[in-house]
Amino acid sequence: MFNTFVLLFIEFFKTGLFTFGGGFGSLPFLYRMAEIYPWFSYHDLTQLIAISGITPGPIGLNMATFAGFKTLGFFGSIISSFALILPMLIITSRIFKLYDKFEKNTYVKSVLYVLRPTSCALIASVGAKLFYNLVLKNDLTLANVDKSAFLLVLFLFVLTFRLKRDPIIYMSIAAIIGIIYFITTT
Amino acid sequence: MSCAKANLLNIFKVFVKIGLVLLGGGYVIIPIMQSEIVEKRGWIDKDELLDYYCVSQCLPGIIAINMAILVGYKLAKMKGAIVSTFAMSLTPFISIVLIASFMQKIMHLQYIEGLFWGVNLSVIVLIYLTLKEMWKKSITDFFTIFWFVLIFLLSAFKISPAILIIVSILLGALMGAIKRRKNV
Repeated sequence: MFNTFVLLFIEFFKTGLFTFGGGFGSLPFLYRMAEIYPWFSYHDLTQLIAISGITPGPIGLNMATFAGFKTLGFFGSIISSFALILPMLIITSRIFKLYDKFEKNTYVKSVLYVLRPTSCALIASVGAKLFYNLVLKNDLTLANVDKSAFLLVLFLFVLTFRLKRDPIIYMSIAAIIGIIYFITTT
Repeated sequence: MSCAKANLLNIFKVFVKIGLVLLGGGYVIIPIMQSEIVEKRGWIDKDELLDYYCVSQCLPGIIAINMAILVGYKLAKMKGAIVSTFAMSLTPFISIVLIASFMQKIMHLQYIEGLFWGVNLSVIVLIYLTLKEMWKKSITDFFTIFWFVLIFLLSAFKISPAILIIVSILLGALMGAIKRRKNV
């Protein structure tokens, strides 16, 4: 129990420290936790992402709170969200004092030059994993493709040509379609 | 215009409000802060807000939280940063804990399942949108394409993301050191 508290703290501190590229940047770390700890499964993770997306607040923070709750209840959620925010409080407040110099610094520029494609790749791999699980149904031969899932993704993709990139719009549309689809097919 | 002074209590109130209306993560933080902090209260100006947004994107962590820290720090140093972060996280935290506690009871409902099904599929498209946005700034030449493919493959082989990020930071620092040497 105590061990899990410490591990939870360390894992979410790490997540806060190494998340780049906004809320979805922390997804690779949550998938990693689902892989190596018995705290929550991939299936829990999909629920967790959905709920975090449609609840007010930054998605990254919501996911951490939820994951902490799944693992150790109320105290778990306090630990995970505190651990997530702590590295930001430490680093960002330090940066404030020198932020004029920050963006022009050679080291910062070079680090970001390598780090940006890394976060792109990590987030892309989560996207690929989700597509593999939810649409291809874990089967690369395309024999088990969930056709309605594929159609919904395609539809949302087409919408991106027309709509703004505000996530809540897409999540709401998808939620409504999902609800109607599940009620009418059963 | 700036009727409310930026004391800790007022910072707390404003950021609770921001946390309450912050839906869908970092993307809406600019318009919300623009109206609450720049226009209604005049605590910072518009250029500062955009600066904070740019810096927040380069910093580790969640963009909205980093912006709360920067604004809070500007208004009342470390105390301000802690209060703004805490206040902004309050509503999201409570809502998630409440939803998580009641979830077991509603999970089996048909329409809730449909809701999750839809929202999860939308995440695939949202990830695509995030990538499209990041792509322009990130993939700029041959090396960055190569590095993207390499990291994508390594993460498919289940290498820990933390390790991949640390390696990237080290490589970037090394490149920075070499560049500096050349310039001197």
